[in-house]
Formats: sequence, C-alpha cells, structure tokens
Amino acid sequence: MSTELADHLRALSDDALGALLRLRPDLITPVPTDLAVLAVRAQTRVSVARTLDTLDRFTLEVLDAARFTRSPSDGTTSAAAIVAMACAPTGGPEPVRVTEAIEKLRARLLLYPASPADPDTLRLVPTVDEVCSPYLAGLGRPAAELDTAAELAGAVVALVTDPARLRRTLLAAPPAARAVLDRLAEGPPVGTTTNRTEPVAWLLEHHLLVETTEGSVELPRELGLLLRRDAGPLGPLHPLPPAVSAAPRAVTTVDRAGAGQAMTVLRHVEDLLEALSEEPAAVLRAGGIGVLPLRRLAKAAGIAEPLAGLLLETAAAAGLIGELELGSELAFLPAAGYDQWRVAPLPQRWTLLAGAWLAMPRQPGLAGQRDLKDRPLTVLSPQLERAGTPAVRRSVLTALGELLPGTGPDADELLEWLRWQAPRRLRGREDLHREALAEAADLGITALGALTGYGRALVEQAVAAARDEDPLGRRPEGELAPEETPVAVALAKLLPPPVDHVLVQADLTVVVPGPPEPALATELDLLAEHESGGGASVYRVTAASLRRALDAGYAGPDLHALFARRSRTAVPQALTYLIDDVSRTHGGLRTGTATSYLRSDDEGLISAALADRRLSGLQLRRLAPTVLVTPFSSARLLTSLRDAGYAPVPEDATGAAVLTPPKVRRAAARPALEPSPDALDAPGLTAPRLLGIVEEIRRGDARARAARRAPAEVRAAAGQPMSSLTAVQAHTHALAVLQQAVRDKAKVWVGYVDAHGANASRLVRPVSIGAGYLRAEDDRTQTLHTFALHRITAAAAAD
Amino acid sequence: MTNGPLIVQSDKTLLLEVDHPDATACRMAIAPFAELERSPEHMHTYRLTPLGLWNARAAGHDAESVVDALLRFSRYPVPHSLLVDVAETMDRYGRLQLLNDPAHGLVLRGLDRAVLVEVAKSKKVAGMLGAQLDPDTIAVHGSERGHLKQVLLKLGWPAEDLAGYVDGEAHPIALRQDGWQLRSYQREAMEHFQAGGSGVVVLPCGAGKTLVGAAAMADVSATTLILVTNTVAGRQWRRELLARTTLTEDEIGEYSGERKEIRPVTIATYQVLTTRRNGTFPHLNVFDARDWGLIVYDEVHLLPAPMFRFTADLQARRRLGLTATLVREDGKEGDVFSLIGPKRYDAPWKDIESQGWIAPADCTEVRVTLSDAERLSYAAIEREEKYKYAATVKAKLPVIEALIERHSDEQVLVIGAYLEQLHEIGRYLEEKGVAAPIVHGGTTNKERERLFDAFRDGSVRTLILSKVGNFSIDLPEAAVAVQVSGTFGSRQEEAQRLGRVLRPKGDGRQAHFYTVVSRDTIDTEYAAHRQRFLAEQGYAYTIVDADDVLSGPAGA
Repeated sequence: MSTELADHLRALSDDALGALLRLRPDLITPVPTDLAVLAVRAQTRVSVARTLDTLDRFTLEVLDAARFTRSPSDGTTSAAAIVAMACAPTGGPEPVRVTEAIEKLRARLLLYPASPADPDTLRLVPTVDEVCSPYLAGLGRPAAELDTAAELAGAVVALVTDPARLRRTLLAAPPAARAVLDRLAEGPPVGTTTNRTEPVAWLLEHHLLVETTEGSVELPRELGLLLRRDAGPLGPLHPLPPAVSAAPRAVTTVDRAGAGQAMTVLRHVEDLLEALSEEPAAVLRAGGIGVLPLRRLAKAAGIAEPLAGLLLETAAAAGLIGELELGSELAFLPAAGYDQWRVAPLPQRWTLLAGAWLAMPRQPGLAGQRDLKDRPLTVLSPQLERAGTPAVRRSVLTALGELLPGTGPDADELLEWLRWQAPRRLRGREDLHREALAEAADLGITALGALTGYGRALVEQAVAAARDEDPLGRRPEGELAPEETPVAVALAKLLPPPVDHVLVQADLTVVVPGPPEPALATELDLLAEHESGGGASVYRVTAASLRRALDAGYAGPDLHALFARRSRTAVPQALTYLIDDVSRTHGGLRTGTATSYLRSDDEGLISAALADRRLSGLQLRRLAPTVLVTPFSSARLLTSLRDAGYAPVPEDATGAAVLTPPKVRRAAARPALEPSPDALDAPGLTAPRLLGIVEEIRRGDARARAARRAPAEVRAAAGQPMSSLTAVQAHTHALAVLQQAVRDKAKVWVGYVDAHGANASRLVRPVSIGAGYLRAEDDRTQTLHTFALHRITAAAAAD
Repeated sequence: MTNGPLIVQSDKTLLLEVDHPDATACRMAIAPFAELERSPEHMHTYRLTPLGLWNARAAGHDAESVVDALLRFSRYPVPHSLLVDVAETMDRYGRLQLLNDPAHGLVLRGLDRAVLVEVAKSKKVAGMLGAQLDPDTIAVHGSERGHLKQVLLKLGWPAEDLAGYVDGEAHPIALRQDGWQLRSYQREAMEHFQAGGSGVVVLPCGAGKTLVGAAAMADVSATTLILVTNTVAGRQWRRELLARTTLTEDEIGEYSGERKEIRPVTIATYQVLTTRRNGTFPHLNVFDARDWGLIVYDEVHLLPAPMFRFTADLQARRRLGLTATLVREDGKEGDVFSLIGPKRYDAPWKDIESQGWIAPADCTEVRVTLSDAERLSYAAIEREEKYKYAATVKAKLPVIEALIERHSDEQVLVIGAYLEQLHEIGRYLEEKGVAAPIVHGGTTNKERERLFDAFRDGSVRTLILSKVGNFSIDLPEAAVAVQVSGTFGSRQEEAQRLGRVLRPKGDGRQAHFYTVVSRDTIDTEYAAHRQRFLAEQGYAYTIVDADDVLSGPAGA
C-alpha cells in the first residue's frame, strides 16, 4: 500500500506536491529523503491525526462515508459511491458540497487514487481507521463482530439477517426500550448500565443490544442502520456551520465600548505595577506571587483577583515585570521597560499588552486552582505554562473575525461554531476557549461579544506573523514605527487625544479632562495625589503633596507658575494660599550632620576660635553666634584647642562639664590567689559518690573493650582483605552470618561503610533482614539501626 | 468621538463638566441614578453605587435608560465592564417582591426562582420566612417585614415592597395656602413621595422641608407621628403646622422630656424615644398609642441606631424621611433605604439656591496667628488636648469682634463647641460694648424661646450658640455666622451650621459664613476638611489672614 501511495506521489506535479506540503507541514520536519519516506510518514498516526484535527465537521462526516463505502474485498471506494451515500436521504447535503469535501480529503492525501490509470477508484489511508473512533459514523460494530460470546450462540446474527423478524422485534419493543435504542442510534452506539434497568434488560433479552463487557452494551450496526433509515446511514449531516443568532451591532458601538475597556485596562495595569513598585512581591520558592500579595495588588488597583492575575500575567509577558534580588530574597517588580511604556501613547501601550497576551503560552485562569499534587497554582509561576494557549486564542478571535463585523455571539454559540470548524481540536478544551474569550473581553480586544475593529487588525497581524511569507522573515508591520501599526492607528482614532491642561477647583482637586500628556502626568504625580482614573484623571493637592514638590526642588513661585500655565481656569484662592502657606513653613527647620560642637557664652571668644588659623584643620562652621560645629571628634577638638592655647572643657549629653583628672595607664585587673584546701585531699568524697564513680569507670572500660574487640576481619574488611576471601565472598559470608544471627538472636560485629565512605563497625543484635536492609538493635544505646545490605562489608559473631 | 460633558471613571465616579452646553441635560439624565458627591465650580463628581442604582430602579428607571444616558453624554468610550456591571446591579432590584397575599398574608415572591432559592437558603434569613407556598412564593412572618428587607439588601437582592400600607385613623388635615404657595420643588417632592408610598426626600436646610412634611400630611389626612431631633425643633414644627395648615392647638401634641401628650398629630423627640431605663425603652408605646397613618422622620441622617430597630416594626405604616443629606457618618445608608424607603426626591443645593429660595453664602476662613507663648504651650500639651487649646486661643477674640464690627448692620450668630470659650467671648464682647447673650445646652427651653424671639424681632443683634445651634433652629434673620470651634471638622455639622445662615433673606442679601482658625495647628487641619466640604458643595471659599480682618476696610 505504501508503494501505491508513493507511486501516487511520484505522479503528482510539483505544484500539487507543494500544495500537499503546505496543507500538512509536519511532513517536512525533517525534510524526507525521498518520496517513499514521505509516503510512509504521511501514513503515521501522528501525522494523520494532526491532519484530521484541522478538518471541519462535514469533511469528517464525508470521511466517515468514505470509510463506510469501502468494498470489503479490496478496500477501495469511489467518489460516486461516497456522494451517493452522503446524499442518500432526502434533504441531505448538495452533492457539490460532498465533492468539495472529497477534494479536501484528497488534497490532504487521506484519500488517493488506487492507481494512476484509474483516478476514480479511491483508496483510504489505512491509518485513518486507527486514529478515528471505532464507531464509524456513530454506528456500532456489525453483529458478526459483536456476536462472539458463547451464550449468544449466533442469536444476534440470526436476528439481524432476518429483516422481517428484526422489524417485528423492533416494533414489539416497549416505548422506554425504544427510547434507549433511538438514543444509541444517534451515536455513540455504546452505553453503560450500572444497574440494569428494565428496558435495557428487555433489549438484551431480545438481542437488540449486545453486552460487550460487564456493564456496557452496544447497538449492532445493522440495527442502527435500520433505525436511521430516515436520516440516512450516516445520520444527519452538517454541511454548513451553525448559524449565529446574534444580530450585528453598529461597529462604532462595539469599537467604543472596546476602547473604553482598553483604557480601563491600561489604567488597571498601571495601578498594579505602581503598587508592585511601591512594595515588590516576593517570588515564592516554587515561583509565582503568593495569594496575599496578589490580594494586596488587586485591592490597590480596585479590581477582582482573577482580573489582577490576568493583567499581571499579561504585563509580565509584555516584559513589564521582572525579578530582582532584593536583600536576601527574589522579588517581582516592574522591569526597566515599564517606565518607557508608561509614557508611551495609549494605543501603543495597549498594542504591546494585547500582542503579549496573544503570544503568551500561559493560562492565567488556572491561578487559584490546585495542581494534581494539591499544590496551589499561583500567578506568574511556571506551572501556568500551557503551550497550546496562543493557538486557542488565535482560533477564538479568528472565528469571531469571520462573522459579520459587530456580531457578538454568546460563548456557547461561538463554541458550537468552533466545534463545527474543527471538532477534534475542540474536544476537551471548551474551557480553554471560554477562558480565552473572557480574557479577550477583559482586555478590550472584544466588546459586547464582538471583535473590535482594532482587535481585528491585531488578529490579522498575529496570523500574518504566524504565516510569515517573506524568505528573510521580514514582516511588513515590523518596518512600521510603533505608532503606525494598523492596530495602534485604529485604536488611536477611538481613544481621546492626550491633553496638556487641567482644571483646578476650590476643593483643591485638579482634573485632567482626558489622558494626560507624559510631561503633565509627571508633574502632577509629584505635586498632587492621584485620586481617580479612567477617562479623566483626578488629582488632589494636599499640603503633603506640595511639600513633596518643594522637597524635589520646586520653589513656591514655580508652583504658582506651573498651576497658572497648566490650568485652563482661574487658580482658586484657596490653592494660592495653600502654596504660600506650605512654602512659608518649608525649610523652617534644618538638619545636618556634625560630630562635635564648640560653644561659648562669649561671642567674641567663638569668633576668635573661628578665625584662628591654627584651628583651620578642624573645619569649624558657625551655626549660631555662640555655636561652632566640626566634623571631627570631640577628643580631637579638645586636643587641638588645648594645643592652640585655649582652655576648653568637654560637656556630656546634659550639658554638664566633664572634668577628669589625668589617668595613669594600667593593665587589666587580675585576681589574687587565696589559700584553699588541697584538691588531692578529696574533701567531700563520700562513699556513694565513690561507688558511682567506680561503676562509671567500669562501664566505660567495658565500652572501650567492646570497641577494641571488634574482630580484625570486621574492622579491616573493606580496604585490605585479611583473609583470602574476595570482597564478594566476604559479603556473602557476612550475609550468612547475619541470617544465622537473626535466627539465634545473637550479637554480631558488623563492618560497614558509612554515609561518608568511612569504615565503621558496630556490635549489634540483628532483628530482621529484608528489602535490602538489615535491622538490628544496639544494646548499648537501646536504638534500632538500619543498615543497607550493600554497605555491609563483613560480619562476625560476637564472643 | 462625541464631545459630551460626562467623563466616566474606572472607579465608578462620573465627572460632569459644568460649563459644557449639554451639562444641564446631562445632569437631568444622570441625577436619578448617580449620587452627587461633590459640586465644586468646574467639575461635578457623581458616584454610581448599588444603592443609587436601586433608588433609580425603585423610581421606575431601567438599566437601558441608565446605559443610554451614560453612552449619550460620555465624552470618551465607556468601558464595557462598567455597562455590564450597571445592568447586572439594577437587575437585582425587584427580583424579589414583598406582597400581601389575601390568603396567606405577607409573602415573598421571586420573579426569578433561582434567586428565591438562593436567598431562602441563606442563614441570615433564618426564622423570618415561613412555609413555601408554591415554587415562587414563601410566606413571611408579618413582624419580620422590615428585618427581611434589611437582610435582603445586605444579600444584594433588595426586595420591592408592594405589600401596601394601613390607612390609619383618618383625620382631616389641609394646607391653608393664604398668601403663600408650595414652591414648585416642594410640590414635586410631595408628589414623588405620594407615588412611592414611603421614602426619603432630600432637600437642603432652609429649603422648606417642614412644608413638604405638612403637604404629605394633608395628602394622607390621617393621624401623624412626627419624630424630631429635639424639643426646640419640635416647637418649630408645631409653629409651622399651626401657621400653614388647618390644624389647631388642640390637635397637636408634644411628646418630649417635659410633656407627654398624645394627640392626632404628635411630635416626639428621638431622645425621649431612645431613653433607656433598666434596659427597656419605656416610651415605645407612643408607636402604638394610636393607629398612625403617617410617620415623619425629620433629619433622617441623624436617626439614632435604635430607631432603626423600632422602624423595622412599623413597615405597614407610611413613612416619610426628610433630610439635607443621605450621607450618614456611620454609613447606615442601606438601613435608611430598606427601612424608611428609597430616595424619592433630591434637588442639588446650588439649583435651589439659584432659584432664590436659600441665600447664597460666601465662605471665609480667617487664620489667626498664635502668640509665641501660645505656640509654646500648644507644642507642649497632650495630643487629646491640642484641638481644644488651638480652637479656644485668646487670639481669636479680637477677630470675632472685628467681624461683628464689619457686619454691624446685620444679625450675627457666633457658633462654638466649648462653653468656656463661649462665655469668654460673651464677656469680651460685652467689654467692647456688644451685647451677646449665650444659648447653650443648659439654657432652659423657656429662656431659649425668649432669646430666639428677641433675635427674630431684631432686639438682639448678636447671639452666641453652642452645639444646640447645630440642629433645627430656625433663625431666618441671621445673615452672618462666625464659627469659632467645632467637632473635629464634621461635614454634617458644617452643613447644619451653614444652614443657619442659608435661610432666604427678605432682600436677597449675601450670607456670610466665617470660620476662625488658628494657624499651623490641628485647628487648621480640621478646617481643611470643612473647606473641602464647602468647596465640594460649590461655595466660594477664601482664606484670609487675621491681620487683613483687623486692619482691612469693613464690608466684603
């Protein structure tokens, strides 16, 4: 068969072969050496399964028809036969749709002509049967295959081969039993019966169902076909994707709602990262942010935790969050790119985030759940990595993009649509798709359920990037400046332009009626507290915030000028007064560092000291008419002053003069000896104490002797064999000794290599040997030891 | 991009640009569902809260109209999530209804079965619900009507109370509109209340809330219980009712610390009702003394917490709440909503002011500088004593006198919190030749009445008030208020004190509201709170130095 396929491939034109490789790109990784290899590879299960995954529901149904119409003798079928079967019932699909589907299958090399001479006789790649469900088109196996159990004795086959009797039996079925049959006929044709109900019992008794294994039943194919006589042997087919009921909304409504969401998201991300910057979150040992820091961040941004998780993940994927060693622990905090991002225009900022979301192979929705080992999954941890997510996101958005602009289907409808598009791919991944859809709405890529105009541009860009036609890998949008990408341009039209003025009000709020220009934002961040964000930003000027601005180098007049320049309305008197009031008191107290001071009630004397050139080395500075300070210690100050002929007196912390007489140097104090009783006279040595000492000594002696007495062969076993035994023999011998000792409950000397590789020996009483370990009691320490058998080098019975 | 006046913020505040041509239309559109939070000169801030949205729902607005208003007037794109949130929140009101079933009495009906099941399972409603009558209806113990509403609000599923009211004992009351008429907003407020059955009317001090109450009484024409903050306020109600309605002296009773009369219209004070003796409330029988058809709560925002408990048991009677603000400093706005009723009417202060019903006010903060000796002792005293010290410094005295001097042709109120300071001011002013009697908590009611009357007829030009001045005293002639000390910058107190000078003046004169503050002390910090409050209410606010007052020319 594989030669047939290879022959078919040989007969193909270059273009046709190229088209095949485009449809099944996995065939050329790595590039096959010849067509025979290609043919073999095209029939591998992995490759066939991968190809089937891309097919829509109708094509798969036609594939079932192809499987069904194979002749039992040589396994071939024909396009005509497939069309005939698929279009059998009235109201079935149009033949041309079926032919199209057959062409799709042929183009993917799932069907191929049996010989070049006869292009109409088609053969199916046999692997398809292995990859697809055993229940062809949702039908059970033929009765002949099912009827193998001895107790049935061919009763089922007998029933289905007698159409009249089959019909009669079927008509006699009670309604409940008939309902079971109808359900199984729709497929899948197997059911489980944990507690056998009456209808199922009736069906089994009459051989309309066959029990395949304990507790599961199957509907024979022949009966299934009979039940499907209205819908056709394949059951109802689905030539068209399910219709989407939602009526399209005005595109501008969708775009505006999305743009509003996009602005909100940018605000939230900024809030989150600002909070993170203020208090970095520690990286957990297993990676990720802990639950409490996440809660804190979410609270700071005023959003729910799941959304905070999504935005943090996205920001991290966009390179806005990094890790840094702070003190002894690793912590998450905004990365260097954040500052640049923060001042970029809104559309660019959003494009970066949305692009990162599309590309990130992570599933933020998992955060908060637990993994198989019941460990919590945390945001930004490696456990959230899921390679398939970018493809899911692309497919969801592409599907939305294929609908009429402005159409916002609900999630269920869209999933049905996707299920038609690629049923095998969606299987078991509905949740992933739902999550992707919800995330897209959260980020403002979609709004009111529909894809926004700029979202469409984003998807197109991502799909184009995935396709990448240029041989050098250059993409058209890669050449564009960030503000000129289609996404940024489309979004910029929707978002408010940045404003450079503010409204200042008497309640000391400053309102920026739109997104502030970066320069304005920086100024306001310094001299006011941010209160509320969104379409506009509200800041509040407080005494503290003005003080902060003054600390940063603004002077009172600068502040007045700044407000006058930026404010579109008159600056309220209350603010002017506040600025004056705060700048009046600012700097009223001064601090500094000095190591010691010099003071005097005599101003003249202080002036003289300051002017004295001999003291210039002290760097004296006048703080007040009667106070000088110096960066040097008071001892040095004192000495220098005395050398220069002044008569200074040091003060203590309370201002009292510290007058000390001159000191003479002495060594440290030592105790004198005193007469004491002779230690050798052993006073207080009573009889009981003596006896105790004696016993102690004896016990110690016994221990020492015991230690010494480890037989030579045990002590030296590992290194230099004492006897003529080899190491292996010694080990076997040791095991024998130990086993005997277990039986005798006798003490033995065990020589072994300890965890550090050193030889050791120990006198123990073996308890058991098993599972590679020796368990033995040590009588002296009253503990149970476990020795790995392979570490034991020797054993000898103790005397 | 439209160029609307409204900017939607991500924290659910709405900014309204006042100078925008569409601002008025926008305000009308958003007023039903958004609470006006601040109204300084250029940008007004409204807030979307669940309570506000539910208030709108109770008034018959649906989510569609709210979303539409936001989209129509918004300058920038409105975030999708906010619209979804608004719709979901509004959808929660009225999913549950309290009805009067002819067979089973009070029942809770769920228009959404899932909600009913969720609520019925909650532990908080345990003991309030009776038997399940059918899948959508559960019996409710009649006595739990109020508590159930409170709990349902906490659970986030506020119930619509359609169980109706008892008519009460009929008693004819009519307004006597001879030479005066209800103002347009008062009539609107009354009509909104009438349509809802019970609820809260929000009007600023001096806007004639009493008349709204009188109009509601005339509408219900049944025996009425009026609950007020104190005796003086009660007497004022009595005076107003005698003047404006057909009620006679004999029909109005006072139930206070001094007198215990129960008449067809009875005015009781919160204080006497919440008096506790041996752990019980001995005066609760007032509520059962008659079959009241209407209960009026004056100054709802001051309603003491135990009153909520009593009110919970009065759910079958019509209730009218009157207040200047729904903001309660204890955050019990939700209890007002569920027990007294949703907001039925609200008019922004500045609007009423521009209609000329209350006097426009000019707020000025005068900062006095402490003497060096005062600064020293201020720095040295304990934290708890600091405010009192700063608020009562002697340096304030000449400023007060200068202000009275400046407004020598007006009547002036001096308001303070510390008695000693007030006496000191009185003595100081007397030395300077200004007669200034003091009204404080210890002044007898009789003496108070005498002084107030004297002030009203102009024989007393200057009056010094202690904290009693915070509530419900009607002194319409006062055009100038000088505030010398207060309660830690409380917003509520500020609103009340400002209300003293906001009564309409015969000739539309400007009212003045001065606050005398000690510079660089904690007094200034508290003043900053008040400044913020007043500026948020949209009043012009200026700060001047004491020297300017002492040396500057008279009259501003």
